[in-house]
Amino acid sequence: MISIEELKYLAEISKINLTDDEINKFPPQLNKTIEYIDILEELASDESITLDLHEINFDELRDDVVKKSDGQPIIKNLTEEGFLRGPKMK
Amino acid sequence: MGHLHDLLAYEVVEGIKSQQFTAEQYVGSIIKRIEDVDSKLHSFITVDSEGALSSAKIIDRKIKEKEDIGSLPGVTIGIKDNISTKGIRTTCASKILEGYVPSYDATVIRKLKENGAIILGKLNLDEFGMGSTTEYSSFHSTHNPWNLDYVPGGSSGGSGAAVAAGECTVSLGSDTGGSIRCPASFCSVVGVKPTYGRVSRYGLISYANSLEQIGPICRSVKDAVMIMNIISGKDIMDNTSTQSTPIAIQSKLGKLNIAIIKELINGSDHDVTRTVYSASEKFKDIGYSCEEVSIKNLDYALPSYYTLASAEASSNLARYDNIRYGFDFPIEEYKWDTYFSNVRKNFGQEVKRRILIGSYVLSSGYYSKYYLKARMLRSLLKLELLKLFNKYDLLIGPTMPILPFKIGEKIDDPFKMYLIDINTVLANLAGIPAISIPVGFSNGLPIGLQIMAAPFQEQKLIDASLALEDTIDIQRRPNSI
Repeated sequence: MISIEELKYLAEISKINLTDDEINKFPPQLNKTIEYIDILEELASDESITLDLHEINFDELRDDVVKKSDGQPIIKNLTEEGFLRGPKMK
Repeated sequence: MGHLHDLLAYEVVEGIKSQQFTAEQYVGSIIKRIEDVDSKLHSFITVDSEGALSSAKIIDRKIKEKEDIGSLPGVTIGIKDNISTKGIRTTCASKILEGYVPSYDATVIRKLKENGAIILGKLNLDEFGMGSTTEYSSFHSTHNPWNLDYVPGGSSGGSGAAVAAGECTVSLGSDTGGSIRCPASFCSVVGVKPTYGRVSRYGLISYANSLEQIGPICRSVKDAVMIMNIISGKDIMDNTSTQSTPIAIQSKLGKLNIAIIKELINGSDHDVTRTVYSASEKFKDIGYSCEEVSIKNLDYALPSYYTLASAEASSNLARYDNIRYGFDFPIEEYKWDTYFSNVRKNFGQEVKRRILIGSYVLSSGYYSKYYLKARMLRSLLKLELLKLFNKYDLLIGPTMPILPFKIGEKIDDPFKMYLIDINTVLANLAGIPAISIPVGFSNGLPIGLQIMAAPFQEQKLIDASLALEDTIDIQRRPNSI
């Protein structure tokens, strides 16, 4: 089950700042889901079961031909000089 | 003929091609319809009246000049707001993308436009497709046209409501765990989730990319076939897509063998069970055989779905850092190691919960316990279903185990909300096609029948659905709105 400490760790690795309200509210909500998915433990691991689900035919690869790019991407943060802005690295 | 906005897609095409009315007249009537009813329904996030009318005029000019107008001239399409439309903002009903305007069309959009269809606007959804009622939209909730106090289903709730209310001829939704079929069932319209890979996902903003497909929501099965045949096909921009055979309105398949999934029908509300059994009797009346079957791994399906979908969501939503696309969040005030976490607190709570669960099931110590087991179950389930499809052409059951419920009823208990997906996630886990068709009402609230087939056997789904549609005439448009 997820404790408040573990929740804070998950929020850190997910890069999401949680509000105080969410830090208190989420553990019981998430724990209901985790209790529910615990049932998956009943399934015995079976390495012979292939995890491949969707076959894709790779016979046809496209020709290695240079194509013109499809126009200017519209990116909100592009500066006039055409650069992307990001937060300051320190 | 009633109102223009009541016409089905194939009727619109006939009417415009035979010049009974112009595309401009038809689109004008649809825009008027939206103006009349959307303040009650809130199906739309963005309506592009100007673009739609200008496209209509182009169609009319082409008809006059006898140019090729494709197979869907004048058909107005509402697009779920997680499908990219060039020049029309695409928000995924999230604050995180509220300013995002794609610079390209999704492949499905391009194909529809090439055939003369008119993109009307963007329809409401649960944020990033995560939800079953459209209540998790960061804009507003959508209301069920059959009873405005009730949910329209989700996550493609706007798509279901708009079609039922005649706000567009047809709509597109996306389905990751039931998000086309649930609103189709709750709004008494037809919704199709194609076989995984039949329809290109290029331009669909990812939630869980091994589970989701774009599909049509329509007022008739024939309309769904028209849309499916346009949007299907291998696409070099989506390596999981593959070529498929077009679906025919009249096939030579003959009588089909059907099986009802015992656990799904027994787990449903009484009125739902009764109505679905009665629909299965109609299949017998037209000569299909109908037995009951059990699915051994059913109890693990929903836990497996939520494990996999959350895991994929946590990965797919990692890109939202407000650098390449986003909203107005000041860069200057934040350092690089706090910027992203601050930006990302603008996700809604349900999205946050799923990202956190996803991180949990993928993290060290839990990965084999949850994620690998879920993937294993997925294969087991698919094998089990394929074995059943060796014996039966189709598997049926209720689309939703319950009737539509009131807005606000389940919002405080997210876990209760998850449980209503129990019938629909099977098809996403196994990558098989599924349709929901309206089969009745209880106290004025719609009930849908779900039919599933083996991969790429959409023809069988359509045959059975058309046969049922011929036999039971279920109302697709509420009188009250």
